[in-house]
Amino acid sequence: MDFLGFLITQCLNALSQASVLLFLACGLTLIFGIMRIINFAHGAIFMLGAYVGHTIVVLTGQFWLALIAAPLVVAGIGALFEMFLLSRLYARRDGGAYLMITFGLAIVLSEAVRLIWGAQPKGIDLPEVLTGVVFLLDQPFPIYRLFLIGLGVSASIALWQFLERTRTGLLIRAVSQNPEMVHALGTDIRIVRTGVFALGCGLAAFGGILATPLFGAYLAMGNNVVVDAFVIVIIGGMGSFLGSVIGSIMVGFVQVFGAYYFPSMALSLLYLLMLTVLIVRPGGLLGKEE
Amino acid sequence: MPLLECRGLTRNFGALVAVDAVDLTVEPGEIRAVIGPNGAGKSTFFNLINGMLRPTAGSVLFDGKDITGLAAHRIARHGISRTFQLTHLMPDLTARENVRLAALASSPGRWRIVGGADILERAGEAADRAMERLRLAPFASMKANELSHGDQRLLEVAMALAQNARLLLLDEPTQGLSIEETERAVQILREMLNGEDLTVMLVEHDMEVVFKLADRITVLHRGQVIADGEPEEVRQNAEVQNAYLGGFD
Amino acid sequence: MRARGLFILVIAAAAAAGFGMPHLLPGYLVNILTEALIFGLFAMSLDLMIGYTRLESFGHAAAYGLGAYASALLLLSFDIPMLIVIPMAAIITGVVAMPIAWVCTRSTGISFAMLTLAFAQLFYASVYQFKDFSGGSDGIAGIARRAGPFGIDFFQTKIGYFYLVLIILILSFLFCRSLVASPFGQVLAGIRENEVKTRTLGYNTRAYRMVIVVLAYAFGGLAGALYAPLAGFASPELFFWRMSGMVLIMVIIGGRGTLVGPILGGAVFLFLEHELSALPMVRELWPLIFGSIFIAVILFAPQGLWGLFRSWREKRRIGVVSKPQSDAPHAAS
Repeated sequence: MDFLGFLITQCLNALSQASVLLFLACGLTLIFGIMRIINFAHGAIFMLGAYVGHTIVVLTGQFWLALIAAPLVVAGIGALFEMFLLSRLYARRDGGAYLMITFGLAIVLSEAVRLIWGAQPKGIDLPEVLTGVVFLLDQPFPIYRLFLIGLGVSASIALWQFLERTRTGLLIRAVSQNPEMVHALGTDIRIVRTGVFALGCGLAAFGGILATPLFGAYLAMGNNVVVDAFVIVIIGGMGSFLGSVIGSIMVGFVQVFGAYYFPSMALSLLYLLMLTVLIVRPGGLLGKEE
Repeated sequence: MPLLECRGLTRNFGALVAVDAVDLTVEPGEIRAVIGPNGAGKSTFFNLINGMLRPTAGSVLFDGKDITGLAAHRIARHGISRTFQLTHLMPDLTARENVRLAALASSPGRWRIVGGADILERAGEAADRAMERLRLAPFASMKANELSHGDQRLLEVAMALAQNARLLLLDEPTQGLSIEETERAVQILREMLNGEDLTVMLVEHDMEVVFKLADRITVLHRGQVIADGEPEEVRQNAEVQNAYLGGFD
Repeated sequence: MRARGLFILVIAAAAAAGFGMPHLLPGYLVNILTEALIFGLFAMSLDLMIGYTRLESFGHAAAYGLGAYASALLLLSFDIPMLIVIPMAAIITGVVAMPIAWVCTRSTGISFAMLTLAFAQLFYASVYQFKDFSGGSDGIAGIARRAGPFGIDFFQTKIGYFYLVLIILILSFLFCRSLVASPFGQVLAGIRENEVKTRTLGYNTRAYRMVIVVLAYAFGGLAGALYAPLAGFASPELFFWRMSGMVLIMVIIGGRGTLVGPILGGAVFLFLEHELSALPMVRELWPLIFGSIFIAVILFAPQGLWGLFRSWREKRRIGVVSKPQSDAPHAAS
């Protein structure tokens, strides 16, 4: 087999894997960075995005519509959760409480999904443009995976520009630095918090739909992927956007190449990578130690 | 031999020199006040002595032993206790439990994993004595965060006292108190200081408090010692008046 | 001590009920009760970290899994009596926990939670990796309760095993209860309330944190070691993060920092789950109901059900209406 071709396809596979993880991890790190909340429900939100997307495709036959509408629906659910439940905990200043209430949410969401959609895995049909393969150095490669890579790259740039360059982005970052000050300057931080939580959930849901054409929507998908997202965010440094991008790429490569070269060790490799990073830099690659 | 001796003690935060080559000695039995305007480096100075920060340069000698750069808990074990500018208590424990924990720190039984009721009993008695001195006995069974702000400040002093330390560092013991509360606190502190053979270094903003309590005053300005002497000398020192008293409202 | 009367009552009731019950119940129910007590022990071990030291571990499944695999492998590979294997497995778990404790206590708060999770997941992954040793995804089956020493075979029976678990639970509880009231326990309370202050009082707080992590793992390992011979198998799921999450929930619902609360929380949860699974309608909805109850407890009774009961009892004793809870942040923030 042509080794160069093989290497390129594997790298592209890793990058497309990283793209899906990126959306998940960015949502997680955003919520943590701004609100100091570890959202354990993030995997369940990812799954919810996949199922809602599936339903929209079934009802309308529109993949593109699902890609936009499903994250909006899930972001709305996230906003409601933040407004009515999460916000009651802010005065308590207890990081553990967030972890636990979002764990509770994870259980409730997974069960709700099971009751609504049943235990059978669901798929999403792709529009014709995205099906099929292209040949790279005589190796076939799915167009959809290329699409994922493009989406991942453009979304990272867009998010980064949003946080760095826009007024809203500035405001969001200011809330993470000093919420009291932002509040004193006349901005309602409640809206910022609700917005950030909704945005984080929307990003996860987006990742969920993108993953469905590859692996299908199934009940354990949230449980399986939430730990990957944690690994990424911890490696990159909790709350660091750039760290999540780097972490996603690292995890994508470890998963794809690990599965090929050390199939029995693929899972352990991920956690070994995380522990090594944490032991050397307890705050993660680009994070600050608390 | 002085109890505490700082030689060229320096701490930088990036380009900012918070404490700049401070030389200072405290004799046993002395009540020393360290004063200076906001940002003069007083709290940083305390943090360097008790090991919460490492000095960039210089050394700290306590009772002739070099304690520079030791971990905070080791320095505490050498016999230096401190209070904080912003009250640091165990909010959900009772006042007595707070002081008892301080008293327990010097007991060899502090690592007893099961039993040890007698060890706690003895620490409790030491706690009662310390609380008595600061007139906190009536509040012993109240939770620390239910005490008035003034009593919380005194509770922290009681903890420092119960540690059985040879040097007490008090960081603005009357910080945030009303005029009446300050007066009461100063009176209680004076009684405490008269009653025991203590060496104390206190940082204070309130000049009234300083002149009522201190034997000797050191003035810090932008991290440097600009004056050192008896309260009257310092009061009349022109440089001090310029740097500090003049600008004081 | 104020709680003494009630405490003796609870112990006596538990013992009386425990020692009479198995003879009246069908066999499968005895097994469920036994498992419930084991889960109670597991939850109690986590309470040492969460409730008494505010070390929020999200990887306590590591302790359970280690204990279970250690006892399973010891029973299958060597001819050692079960009564010796169980404490051995607990000690092994504690020893394995030492380097874990050393690494994890470098951090506090969220980083601590994530590090404990990382270790648990690493064990989970290792089970799949070292298939020859651990049985991979199939786990280890065919674990028998071996008799002895001195030909003691009572604990091999279902009822005997129930008694064994009950006795170990009561002894562990008495030990932990003494621990949290000891000088060591007082220092843990200081760390929970304000670690910086505790350190400046002269305590090497990290050493205390390491010791309590090792002890909590050892007791968690003890629970796991009791589970394997009961179930007859050990599976990788014992290490999975859902397990860590579940036991955390038990501690919170029962009431952290109370020891009794988590025991009851763990035991009642497991018992209800087994019993309700028998009813088809409820089985479908049970996790949903359970998740909702959990959220409600966090929002409205953060001190947990046993904590709620305790403060209600105290209020009645004092005979005053308590002040409304102040929302002001603690003085020492």
